[in-house]
Amino acid sequence: MSQLDILMVVLRVAFGAFIPICFIAIGVWMERRGAGFIQDRLGPNRCNIFGFRAGGLVQNLADGVKLIFKEDMIAGHIQHKFYFVLAPVLVFFTALVSFAVIPFADTLILGGKSYIMQTVPLDIGILWFLACTGFAVYGIILAGWSSHNKYGILGGLRSAAQVIAYEIPMGLAIVSLLVVYGTVNLSEIARFQGQLLFGFIPMWGVILQPLGVVIFIVAAFAETNRTPFDFAEGESEIVAGFHIEYSSMKFGMFFLGEYVAMFVSSAIIVTLFFGGYQIPWLATETMVAYAQPIAIVLMLLLPVITYYFTNWIRKNNVSHYNRQNDPLVREANVYIKICWILAAAVELILLTLVVINPSADGVRIFVVLLQMASFLLKATIMCFVYVWVRWTLPRFRYDQLQKLGWQILLPMSLVNIFITSAVVVALS
Amino acid sequence: MTVKIKTLERQGSTFIEKLYLVEVFRGMRTTFGHFWRILLDNSKSYVRHYPEVKPEITPRWRGRHRLTTHEDGTMKCVACFMCQTNCPSHCISIEAGERVDGKSEKMPIRFEIDLLECIYCGYCVEACPMDAIRMDTGIYSVISSERSSVVKGMDELLATPGAFSEEDYKKRGL
Repeated sequence: MSQLDILMVVLRVAFGAFIPICFIAIGVWMERRGAGFIQDRLGPNRCNIFGFRAGGLVQNLADGVKLIFKEDMIAGHIQHKFYFVLAPVLVFFTALVSFAVIPFADTLILGGKSYIMQTVPLDIGILWFLACTGFAVYGIILAGWSSHNKYGILGGLRSAAQVIAYEIPMGLAIVSLLVVYGTVNLSEIARFQGQLLFGFIPMWGVILQPLGVVIFIVAAFAETNRTPFDFAEGESEIVAGFHIEYSSMKFGMFFLGEYVAMFVSSAIIVTLFFGGYQIPWLATETMVAYAQPIAIVLMLLLPVITYYFTNWIRKNNVSHYNRQNDPLVREANVYIKICWILAAAVELILLTLVVINPSADGVRIFVVLLQMASFLLKATIMCFVYVWVRWTLPRFRYDQLQKLGWQILLPMSLVNIFITSAVVVALS
Repeated sequence: MTVKIKTLERQGSTFIEKLYLVEVFRGMRTTFGHFWRILLDNSKSYVRHYPEVKPEITPRWRGRHRLTTHEDGTMKCVACFMCQTNCPSHCISIEAGERVDGKSEKMPIRFEIDLLECIYCGYCVEACPMDAIRMDTGIYSVISSERSSVVKGMDELLATPGAFSEEDYKKRGL
């Protein structure tokens, strides 16, 4: 192994480990501010460090400090302390590990060697994801059972029944998807979606499998235990469900695990149905060939976007009551300066790309960075959809949940397999 | 007398509604409208920035108690124990003594209200025959780091002024 090989391994593992953890902060922030905005409130916006609130992101730090320093207690009636402690670890760990197979950029070719941009370059791809998310529910069941609490048990039971009901449609939706793509390798699935249908429509899963998208997304919502399927927690019915006996960072692990699971399932939805890292109409080879025009377009777009973004900051980062020497305006000035400095730095990098004709390797790295940005943007939007749905829909009734799973989604996914197979056979 | 009957149409039985998806998207459109409106201009949110912007208190609001005085500064209270007897949470404790200023025969020598016990029901105000106790100070937030300072004595109750004019207080319609 050369040094470059080792560096690439480190970079990929770092990406796979840190991006989901970073997205916890972004997810929690998006959830709380998003909930606020949807309900015509503002959400948490007071926490600050030296007056800098970062749009409410500092609140996450405060929450983290609170969770870590709370008393970490195990109730006296709990007999199986090992399983009790193991449960949150399982939930968090499986959620984090399932991100490992998701490709975040096309294969990087450096000096004739190709590097698959996955944390763990496995061929089994989607099966790994199914196995890991399926295992996450064991954590929830274990937590419910070892809590030795009726609400905990109910939460665990509900979660188990729900997962059985929704894993099947999810698996079947994936089967019909595999019929289309002809592979379980997520890198190849993402590459497949870079093609064009009839020469002008991006060949994304959402266009090839419209029914499959609906089934998969509904099942993925159920899989991550989020509203309208948050039966395991069921705050208004069974208090807090499976994590009722947990406090401090053990509760924190469940909480963080939920957001990691949300990000990972957004990532898998994006990879399977929304083209993964693909930028529509710009396949990898096209981007490599036209790197300089793309860089010029980006250079022109960036100041415009920054201009509107800074205007938005200027308009919204003010106090809504009479206040002398408004500190929020001062804060906004700093943010706007940072925005322009960042924009200038990116412009400079793009300029070097345009002026000095870079080597093939440089162009490849540029393309990979663009694809990573595209992937993260799509995943963020999908995370927002999770938040958006949570604050729109109330929880289902339990029998409605089972009815939807067994009587609607299951037959629909079977029909979907038949139709897909028929079309694929007819076309080939 | 006939009872007014309003027949509500039961929703959710048509095919479109049973599909869920159409209705889900309609709901999501509504919530996104709210989200987008606040995102573009967050001054449109229905929020009071509380510690800086105080809520408006009306004369009907039952705030912290005070003891009223005659125009010459002597207290109106005659230690009749009406408020203490009426109090459902037993937070008022009065000790009566002889009155020396000639207004009547009795006056309290000790009048304490334990605000940790008080449920702010206003029965004491209604029971008082002398209009001696009122809850019109407009104080809605009583905080302290020790219990003893939340038990308000006679001097403090007498010293607190009312927040409203006499006309406004009379117009509160109780």
